[in-house]
Amino acid sequence: MDPRTLPQQIVNGVLLGTIYALIALGYTMVYGVLKLINFAHGEVFMLGAYGALFTSWMLGFGPEGTRTQSSPVVLLLMLLGAMTVCGLAAVIIERFGYRPLRNSPRIASLITAIGLSLLLQYGGQIFILNGSPQTIKAEANPYRGEIPISLRAGDKVALADAEKLQPGIEIARAAFVEQLKHEKSEFDLSPKGEAIKKVRDDLEQTYTDKVNKANEKAVNVLLPKGGLLMLGATLVIMACLWFLVKHTRKGRAMRAVSHDFQASSLMGVNVDSIVTFTFILGSVLAGAGAMMYATFLPGTKIDTFFGMAPGLKAFTAAVLGGIGNIPGAVLGGLLMGVAENLVVWAGYDNYRDAIAFVILIVVLLFRPGGILGSSKVEKV
Amino acid sequence: MRVFDKNNIRHLALAVVSAALLVGCNGGDSKTDETGNGGGGKSSATAGRKAPTAAPIDAQGPTIKIGLVASVTGDNKPWGDDSKEGAQLAVDEFNAAGGMDGKKIEMVLGDSASKPEQAKTAAEKLMSDGCIALVGEVSSGNTIQMAKAAFDKGIAVVAVGATRTDLTDEGSHVFRVCYTDAFQGPVMAKFLFDKLNKKTVAIMTDNHLPYSQGLSKSFKETFEKLGGKVVAEKAYESGGTQAPNYSGQLTEIKSANPDAMFCSGYFTEVGPMAQQARQAGIKAVLLGGDGWDSDKLLTSGGDAILGSFFCNHYNNADNRPQVTDFLKKWKAVPAHNGKNPDTTMGALGYDAMALTLDALKRAGKANSKAIIDALEATEKYPGVSGDITLKGMNGNPPKRAIVVSVTAKGPDGSWQKFAKDYTPDQIK
Repeated sequence: MDPRTLPQQIVNGVLLGTIYALIALGYTMVYGVLKLINFAHGEVFMLGAYGALFTSWMLGFGPEGTRTQSSPVVLLLMLLGAMTVCGLAAVIIERFGYRPLRNSPRIASLITAIGLSLLLQYGGQIFILNGSPQTIKAEANPYRGEIPISLRAGDKVALADAEKLQPGIEIARAAFVEQLKHEKSEFDLSPKGEAIKKVRDDLEQTYTDKVNKANEKAVNVLLPKGGLLMLGATLVIMACLWFLVKHTRKGRAMRAVSHDFQASSLMGVNVDSIVTFTFILGSVLAGAGAMMYATFLPGTKIDTFFGMAPGLKAFTAAVLGGIGNIPGAVLGGLLMGVAENLVVWAGYDNYRDAIAFVILIVVLLFRPGGILGSSKVEKV
Repeated sequence: MRVFDKNNIRHLALAVVSAALLVGCNGGDSKTDETGNGGGGKSSATAGRKAPTAAPIDAQGPTIKIGLVASVTGDNKPWGDDSKEGAQLAVDEFNAAGGMDGKKIEMVLGDSASKPEQAKTAAEKLMSDGCIALVGEVSSGNTIQMAKAAFDKGIAVVAVGATRTDLTDEGSHVFRVCYTDAFQGPVMAKFLFDKLNKKTVAIMTDNHLPYSQGLSKSFKETFEKLGGKVVAEKAYESGGTQAPNYSGQLTEIKSANPDAMFCSGYFTEVGPMAQQARQAGIKAVLLGGDGWDSDKLLTSGGDAILGSFFCNHYNNADNRPQVTDFLKKWKAVPAHNGKNPDTTMGALGYDAMALTLDALKRAGKANSKAIIDALEATEKYPGVSGDITLKGMNGNPPKRAIVVSVTAKGPDGSWQKFAKDYTPDQIK
């Protein structure tokens, strides 16, 4: 537990939490209108990642692609690709998976959801690239690098003192590079080469030690540019969602259906179209989350199990915030993200997930409906 | 709807808890061969491995069946594909040379899907199909399950690239053609300390993999013995249960200011981890074991992984006749488009299968027990990855290890630059 890394860990947690929040929204909205836990939602997230991956391939960032310069347009197209794939998947899943079972006992839909999830995970392996994991190239993201923010500076005098070593290090490095020309290999040196290397390494070590000592008390936070973009985009998406649900006709219909399924259909609301719409909305958000996750966490491997871990976390987040409650899902997502990182911060990285779920259990013991949910007991 | 009444929920909870416990046990069995003879070649501590007692099995039917378990789907697909191709090459060669007493060898493939539990199922399936010896796997977790399943039937298991040290303690039917983690951990520790002159290191371990746990342990022991300091030890879990986000662990590592970071996991996680490490501001040099060996590391690791070092089994640029011969034969296969194998598992898969067939020939009869005895008697078998001696070694041949650096892909597809090799004697 190092207080100096706490600010950075909170930043990490919030960035991860926004993704959880985006997925959690899908769980919570579907539950809101259908009282169905859509376990296939994590797999929709996975399909979204593939959507983003294939879009990036089409734009020249494929395995054989040579493009190295990206632009915001590429990101936008990838986002649209992911969202489209997820939207389509949602329509298909809802139409053929859930609608035929709408009037069956709820447990039947639940089992169907689990079945769909497994079908997409294991069945997908046959169809998607022979089961081999893929990654979106780091080059596809034009916003790489970090913005450093210094919350407390290091010892400036000591740092300046350390910098004085730099010219010496440069000379030693140049001397070693020169010597390498006469050597068989960098790791098989003559005595002279060894001596020059030792001088260089010792100087570098002294420099590093001095810098580390000077920075002992410094507190720095690195904000990844991609992460900031992700946060910004998520906030915009959530604002749109809020407007849609609260201030449009469709939104009002959604809320009506979620309030009372039967009554709203009697009042002339087209329930089927609202349910489909809700599925699409939730899935599109998951698609956005998947694209951002796979792009801004560079190197993340995409396979058919990609949605499992984030999906489970997001489901937990939705329950934590109060399932069926939209602000609750966002709050739950952020809490899960931050909690996970704080567990690592506290030194219990072996129990990263275990403790996150313990938090869930504790919260539910005291507030069974979730933090912002109603405390009415629901039978699942 | 009283499906979830109180009693049912209690049973369900019990089932979930016991399932979780089972998962917890998987890979938690971390007794390691403390003497670390492994690649050291001076075997003694594990002498007298328990021997399978099942009745020997003779090959039935017109062909002699040898089973191969490989990860032809899932995360370890690059290894599974190469070990399959390598083993097939060895079988084709053996058959072309006349086979065994006029009988051809039939290689039966079982897919482990990169998962230990499926490796066990695949091994059991192959044995019930009448295979009299098993070859595979690359990952230690999968091989341990194969070895357990094969023990009851008394069938030999020749591991391709499984390096976990205590793997061969499963019984006297287990052999491998690669070095062990008790060797490659110290190799990397020595390389880091002596050759790179780095004195502080952070270790990242994948708790999902028995391989990674064993490797981190042997690396740490040697590095500390040499006088280096381990300033941070962090863990994560692969296998889809955790989101692949390591920012938490990396932030803590950053604040410990290590000169180097040892990542003992597989390439699937190390690639993203390298990029995230640079994002977190870690400038330390990265090192790892043979689990890094796939060019997928370059796509998932980007620029961040370049200049890192890892331990490997052999090098395509080696000019030993076995290597040049093997590469010539490999390139001649139409499906390979004249390219070298992507990973060293091509050569190790070939070695494992060729050694098994050599043992079959020496045994003189297609019998499961005779193959085990012949494998145990192997001396100086000239493999592609080096000479293999198994006699009195408890299944762990003393082998050479090669440290390579990761470079951008060259025009011929090579991306590993030879840095230094170590023989078992240098590590003792």
